[in-house]
Amino acid sequence: MQALHFLQALARIARAAPKPAHSARTRQIRHAAYASMAHSSRSSRRTWSRALLHRLRQRQQQRPGRLLTVRRRVRIVTPITSRPEEPARAETLRQLVPGGRGMEYCNLLEETADYVQCLRAQVQLMQTLLDAFSS
Amino acid sequence: MSGSLNGNSASSGGGATGAGGDDFFDQMLSSLPSPWADLANPKSPWDLTTGANAPGSGEDCGGYDESALLASRLRQHQISGSGSPAGAKPMMLHQMLMSAAGRAPGGGAGAGAGGAGDPSGFFPLPLSLGRDDVEGAFKSPNGTGAEGLFNGYGGGLPGAAQANNQPPFHHAQQGAPMPAQNFGGAAPNAGAQAPAPAASGGGAAAPPRQRVRARRGQATDPHSIAERLRRERIAERMKALQELVPNANKTDKASMLDEIIDYVKFLQLQVKVLSMSRLGGAAAVAPLVANMSSEGQGGSNGAGGSDSSLTVTEQQVAKLMEEDMGSAMQYLQGKGLCLMPISLASAISSATCHPRASASHLGGGPAAAAAHHLILPGPQAQPNSNNHVNPDGPSSPNLSGLTAQSAMANGNADSHKDASSA
Repeated sequence: MQALHFLQALARIARAAPKPAHSARTRQIRHAAYASMAHSSRSSRRTWSRALLHRLRQRQQQRPGRLLTVRRRVRIVTPITSRPEEPARAETLRQLVPGGRGMEYCNLLEETADYVQCLRAQVQLMQTLLDAFSS
Repeated sequence: MSGSLNGNSASSGGGATGAGGDDFFDQMLSSLPSPWADLANPKSPWDLTTGANAPGSGEDCGGYDESALLASRLRQHQISGSGSPAGAKPMMLHQMLMSAAGRAPGGGAGAGAGGAGDPSGFFPLPLSLGRDDVEGAFKSPNGTGAEGLFNGYGGGLPGAAQANNQPPFHHAQQGAPMPAQNFGGAAPNAGAQAPAPAASGGGAAAPPRQRVRARRGQATDPHSIAERLRRERIAERMKALQELVPNANKTDKASMLDEIIDYVKFLQLQVKVLSMSRLGGAAAVAPLVANMSSEGQGGSNGAGGSDSSLTVTEQQVAKLMEEDMGSAMQYLQGKGLCLMPISLASAISSATCHPRASASHLGGGPAAAAAHHLILPGPQAQPNSNNHVNPDGPSSPNLSGLTAQSAMANGNADSHKDASSA
């Protein structure tokens, strides 16, 4: 499911943008990677996937028109984020995992596990494709 | 046994009411909190000993010092650390009753904690009441702590009694004012343990999901129960994460967290790098075709080929197809080719930056086609429905053929024409 989505996205990229702007291409591919991650069936119910999609959409909207005001999602998370029982590194983890800021520590760990799984799958997928195409 | 005790009670009760001198009756009444005394009232089918005189004696009960007894019972129970608060309540009730009756000859068997059975028919009454109380108390917002124990009785008694349609528990209505005051009195006397958790348990907005009873009976305090549950959950998740993340030999939680963070960063970096490197070979990352119907079979097959080999391949595949579709598919797969519906092909095919490429140019994809293709209709699909791409020009509808994906890595999507085997 994840692979399917990713491949389709890649196809779209290749088709849509013949300009070999390296950075742009890179960005698009990365975008496609994360999008396919978020769309995979096993993660569509997760908080991080929704947050990730939101983030991607934000970036996309941001891109074309810089004149547009950037809509940032403002959340008052201070009281929730830092709890006394959490280890110090929890904040870093929250920044890494999409949507991690609003979660409790307990849920954060669960989301992290799922996120790591999806990330791994995505990386494997990309690696395989790369190998396949370059050999 | 129950009958005998009833008989005893009846006899002693009769005597007690009159002269008040019977030990059993006095002790029973004095040790029981007023609701229990009311229990002895004749409102129930299990009319007890006290019978007619109960009302009078019941009112007297208010003055008795049952708070002290309650306190001692509670302490005893908590020290013994027996089981869940749920069990505690009926047990405590039981204990009280048992000890009260225990002084009487008949109730001696019941003395002690955790009465296994009621020595008398009198006891099932309060015992079941206790259970109802337990439920009432649990449902009450007062929590499950010791404080809940007290409030639960006060609130639960009337509540439970009124909730139940059980006639035996009429007492509750009478006893409502009594237990409230009694328990109020009892609470402070219950010792350090009760009020403290009472305050914290009652005041704290403990996570509402903490209806769990303390398993080991150490802490009936809702706070600590919540804490423990939370810690367990966190530990569980950490363990799951440990399995996912390599290098999970760290037992320290802090270092484990560091490890996890590093791993996530590493994976994200890998995605970034891979997306960069893909550009090299994938300038044409030719429209990869992912076949919808063949998700299961989808595999990344390397694709590439020259024209000549492709022609040969085509013929080979055509031959295979005549015999068995499956083998044809496998052959294709082995070569890194795929079979796809024409509609899909045309949808995906794009001018992969190649001027030569015609509209019907097809980009190769690693997906393997499923047999569904044969049946898949496409806008240009032919009765044979096999994919066909004729790069040289408008596809000739009469051709049915195989499609081979064009190479990607070269950046040239060479147009491969598949000869039809028509």
